[in-house]
Order: sequence, then C-alpha cells, then structure tokens
Amino acid sequence: MPLKALDIYKLLPKKNCKECGDPTCLTFAMKLASGKGDVTKCPYLDEDAKVVLGASTRPPIQLVRVGVGELRFGVGDEFVLFRHEKTFYHPTALMISVSDRWTADEIRVQTRRVASDHLVRVGADLRLNGIAIRNDSGSPEAFGKAVAAVEETATHLPEVLMATDPAAQEAGLASCGHFRPLIHAATMETYPAMCGLAKKFGCPLVISAPDLATLSDLSKRCTAEGVARLMLDVSPSSLADYIPAATLIRRLAICRAQPEFGYPVFLDATRYGNQDTAIALGILKYASVIATETLPPATLRAALTLRQNIYTDPQKPIQMNPGLYPIGSPGKDAPVLMTVNFSLTFFTLQGYLESARVPCYMLIVDTEGLSVLTAVASGKLNETLVKESLKRFDVGSSVTHRKLIIPGYASPLSGRIEEETGWKVLVGPRDAAEIGEYLAQEWKS
Amino acid sequence: MTDGGSDWSGKIGEVVLGATAADGGTRKVSYRVGGDDDLPFLGGCTSGHRPLVAYEICDDPGLWPQIVRDYCGDLVNDPASWSKAAEREYGADLIRLSLTSTRRRGFSDFAALGKTVHDVLHATGLPLIIEGSNDPQIDSEVFQQCGEAGQGERLLLGTAEAGRYRSVAAAALAYGHGVIAQSPIDINLAKQLNILLKEIGVPLDRVVIDPYTGALGYGFEYSYSVMERIRYSALKGDQDLQVPMISAASDSLNIKEVREAEPAIRDEMAVRWEFYAALPAIVAGAAIVVVRHPGTVKALRDAVEKMWPGEVTANAAQGA
Repeated sequence: MPLKALDIYKLLPKKNCKECGDPTCLTFAMKLASGKGDVTKCPYLDEDAKVVLGASTRPPIQLVRVGVGELRFGVGDEFVLFRHEKTFYHPTALMISVSDRWTADEIRVQTRRVASDHLVRVGADLRLNGIAIRNDSGSPEAFGKAVAAVEETATHLPEVLMATDPAAQEAGLASCGHFRPLIHAATMETYPAMCGLAKKFGCPLVISAPDLATLSDLSKRCTAEGVARLMLDVSPSSLADYIPAATLIRRLAICRAQPEFGYPVFLDATRYGNQDTAIALGILKYASVIATETLPPATLRAALTLRQNIYTDPQKPIQMNPGLYPIGSPGKDAPVLMTVNFSLTFFTLQGYLESARVPCYMLIVDTEGLSVLTAVASGKLNETLVKESLKRFDVGSSVTHRKLIIPGYASPLSGRIEEETGWKVLVGPRDAAEIGEYLAQEWKS
Repeated sequence: MTDGGSDWSGKIGEVVLGATAADGGTRKVSYRVGGDDDLPFLGGCTSGHRPLVAYEICDDPGLWPQIVRDYCGDLVNDPASWSKAAEREYGADLIRLSLTSTRRRGFSDFAALGKTVHDVLHATGLPLIIEGSNDPQIDSEVFQQCGEAGQGERLLLGTAEAGRYRSVAAAALAYGHGVIAQSPIDINLAKQLNILLKEIGVPLDRVVIDPYTGALGYGFEYSYSVMERIRYSALKGDQDLQVPMISAASDSLNIKEVREAEPAIRDEMAVRWEFYAALPAIVAGAAIVVVRHPGTVKALRDAVEKMWPGEVTANAAQGA
C-alpha cells in the first residue's frame, strides 16, 4: 500500500540538508508520497529505509521507453483506473507487423508505409508508432535479416522484436540492439537468457505467461535478474479474458498492492481472429503497446481517432477559436449561423452544413467551450456577447443582409439579441441534423 | 494474490424489451437488458445480459445519411421491408424506427405514424424502439399514435428530455411501454431526469438512459466517460442511475471522414466509424447500441460473440 507523506518522513534522516534538491525533508517526503520523487536522491538513507521506500514511492506503473530519437515513445506512468478520475497520459503505441518469412522487398514496403502513414485531426498529428518484427520462420538467421531490412529502411522507427528463441533475439539485436527495441518475450523457460540480452543491450523486456500467478512470479524473477524495464503480456486465451486480466493488473498496480504488476501491458492483437475488437479493447482497457497486422485505411483512421479520444483529458472542454468561419465559398447574401465554441458543437454543425451544400458563414462566439444548452442556462451566451462578436469579426462587411440564424436551444434569447444588435434573428433547429432542411426551406436572403 | 476488486453495493435493474405471445404481444423474442452487478465484462455472464445491437431505420429517408440510402437502395422507402431486411439479412437484435417524417416543418399526418409502426411490427418479430418527434408541440399526438399502435408489444419509446418528457411518459404508461431518457452528456442531468420520470409515475424498470453519444472524434471522449461514470455510480449504490444505458452515435455517418472517404472505401469507413464508437460504448456499459450501416451490425455481433463469455443468446427472456 502507498505510504503517506508523514510515514515516509519518519524514515528520512530529517537533516534538511537540501542535497536532494528539496528545501526540507518534509517536502521531499511529500514528493515521494505523490510518486513524483526519486528516493535515490537522498544520500543519507540507510539501506532498510531504501528498500521500504523504493517499493512504495516509484510511480505505480513504471515508465518504459522504446526506441531512440524523435519517434521514441514512453508508455506506462499511469495513475488511474478511469480516465475521468484524472486522465490517461501515455497513449497506446500501435506497432505494425512484418514477418521474417517475407521477402526483403515486402518488409521494406511495409516499413516505409508505417513510417509515412499519419493523419492530422483537430491540430494533432496522429501516427503509428513502429514495427513489430516476427520470427515466424523459427530461424535466427532469417530473423536477423528481417530486422536488418527494417533497419536499412527506417533506422529511426521503434521496433518490437517478437521471437521466443533467445538465439533469434540475439541475431536481431545484433543489428538494432543499440536503438532500444522492445524484446518480446521472456517466458518461464527463457527468462535467464532473455534477461541477459535485455541487460546487454539496455532494452525493455516483455514477459509473457499463461496466467497472472505465473506472470507475477516471472516479473519478480526478472527484476531479481536486474531488469528494471518490463512490460506484461497477459496472453489471454480469448478476448473474453482480456478485460478482466488487464483490469486486475491495472488495479493491483495503481494501489501498489503488487509492485510486480507495476509495468505497462502488451497486447498482441493478431491472435484472436478479430483484430478490430482486440485493438479497441486494448486502447480502452490499459494496453500500452499493441502489435497488429497491417491496418486497412478505414481501421487506421478509426483506431487512431479512438486512441486520441481516450487519451484526451476528459475534464477539459475542447474549444474552437471564436471567429467567422466560411463553409464553401459564401457570397454577400449567404446565411450566417451563430453557435458556441464547444468543439463538439462546432464540428457537428460544420459536418451537417458541409453536407447541406449551402455556402454560408458560421459565427463562433466565445462561450469558453460550453455547449449551447449550458451556455444559455449559465448566462454565458447572451445578447452582449453576440453583439460584440458580430462587431469583433466584422460580420457586417462579409454579408449585405442583417439576418442571424441562432441555435434552437438559444431561442429564449432571440428577442434580446434582435434589440441589442439590430439584426433580425431567425431561430434554427435544435438538432444540427436538420439544418440542411431548415436552410432549404427557410433561408431567403 | 489478492484480487484487488471493488465491492459494489448496487446493481443495474432489468428492463424487458418486447412482448412475446406469452406476455400478450406478437414479438418472436423479448430481451432483458441490465442486471449487471459489476463493471462491464468483469463479472462474466452471471453479471448482466449480453449487449444488444439495434439497427436504425426511418420513415423519411430524405433526412437520412446518403451512404445508407446508397447502400440499402429502395428499401429505405419502405420501413416494413427495411425492418425485415434488418432482421433477416443484417442480423440485428432489435429495430429502432426513427420517425424522421415528424421533423419536417408543419408535419401533421399523425395517422400515418400509427400505420408505419403497425406495418413494421407486422414485418418483423424483433422488439422495437421508436424515436418519435423532437418538437414539444407535436409530441403528444406523435407518442399517442405510436404508443397505441404498439399496445402490448412492450416498445421502447424515445426520447424523454428534461424539458419534454410528459408526453412520451404518458404514452408509455398508458400502453405499457418503456422510455428512453436522454440527457446531454452529464451524469447529474441523467439522474435528475430519472427522478422527474419517477415522480410522474414511470417506474425505473421501464427506463433506459441515453447519455447522448457524440461521434468518434466529435465528442465521443465525453460520452465514453459519462457512461463509465453512470455505471460506476449505479454500482456504488445510486439507485436513480441503476438502469441500463442505450448508446447511439447518430452523427457518425455525417462526419467528414465518412463523407470524404474515397468511394472504394466509403462503406468500410462508415462501418469502422460506427464500430469504433459502439464497441467502446459497450465496454463503458451500454446495454444497447444503435447503428445505421448494415455492415456495422455484423461487425458488432462478431465482436460481442468474441467478448461475451456465455451463450450469445443468453438474454432472451422468451426464446423464439
């Protein structure tokens, strides 16, 4: 269980020497209690205190980094079971597979695709994270060649080497070991050799076991061998078992009940005959690295968007910049539709306006990210804001008419907006889905 | 090893959808939804019933996504045949009929609604969800027509909202149906609406919460967490939230990614966009998910089959 700051303080030397970088031992204790401190910074701790504090003050889930350079990613370092409790910090890494049964050309084509595939959504660059190289041939030599082919094509792409045979791992690591690939995976049978390789090359190591009790045991053995950066592959036999296993690991890790589970989770999505389901479950339920086959374009977009959604801070309303946004090429007689700067409202309305194919302007007013309903209820959306926005974005010079369409939920404000702005107010539908029909029937400049 | 699990004091109530002959209806099957006493998929099939996939049709395709009109062809002009296809070809568990005709300005042909409901009930043996008007001025007549046409069939009528729930509740009470209670992505408003419904006499075993689901990439992140919070609070003992949830990311097929997809992959994009919101909704606790592309029904049924530990027919209250 986690220690409270005062319990930790009791174990510290209480010299207030500042050598740890904190002003007092108490502030250092508070930092350790929140999982943000590093116990080794205290030079005067006795060995017993180090052991006690070391287990209970590191982050509940170890941060593990894979790769080097710009595309290096870090996973783990999470604190909660539900994203609404805080947020999830380190997005699931998606690693696309190549097989050492493929020709070098096939491997190169796939590697290039993974390196270049990316898409931009709401200002963020979404991309795949790297390559999973599989030792399907069983031959160390073929595996070494496959890894070399990936390396020649894109040295900067993070890799996971998927080979159960330590000899194959060694052949692969010979060409990419110093780029810090992830080694997958040590088992109860192979862990001494795999731990040796992980230490030799300084690589993170995935451990794999058929059940959680064995996984727990294996985790302890690998840390005893001196490997500190682990990931856990629970290898459930079916997707029905994945959520219970991953949830249990997360729970035990964040309450620090079992430090041997305090590592990120690895999921091989190719095993279950339904890759989309495995990917979605992995993103939602605590997988930090997912290995998959090639993703068709539609799956790629949807999966990356789901990951973006789940790893967005749920307490922060996403806001659009207020302003006058043209849809299509609106003329001087085009309708002007006012709404709020909550991004969900913006994108939904924008989608329906684009499919309605009526060139128009969206006037986005600053309600600090509140939806129409809540902005009206709280008074944040009012006639003064509308008047200021019309002026601020100089709407009067973009169109010659003086008509403003407001959201259906803002209808209580229609009279006051008319009085304050002098614009004629038209009350639009409450549901953005009906805006096309509304414009077709109602709009006459 | 400790299991680190939570002790829950609450349990999601059960709601019955559809009435078979034994219960005075004509449905071939009826379902129980809810009944869960743990987080989704943690308690195995002893906790709750298998999630259901509803296929949504409408009575005025002019207001429906183009991609569905292209894919389904002439079916979209005949709700009865469309519902039959949803049952026999698409593999839906139940049908949601959205009365889009009521969204037209000056709508007044109320008798036609009753006939449409009647025709759909005749064409399919699946339980039926009805999405009525969204204009308070015509709600009363719309829900009266639907409620009466489906009397004894244990429909699920939608949508009740904080500002307009009396008409739909009255029709549900008069004709023995359930009610969908929709609130705008907010756990407190969801709770409040259930209390309002309870106060006017709607028992909570007739209520299904619709927390409102934004499309993937367009607000879904809020909907997902609100569903998780509602489920969590219900299990923690908040009785006003102990009802099953329904999730429909209805804007999915109108968003940019689907509209602007290359023609060759447009259907696939539509299916993936619905799938990657509906499956997470199920994982967050939705008992029913609603989709509009026929291909998504099968994708979700396959997924649930992989995830659901027991027999996939486990929640049929009365088998066909």
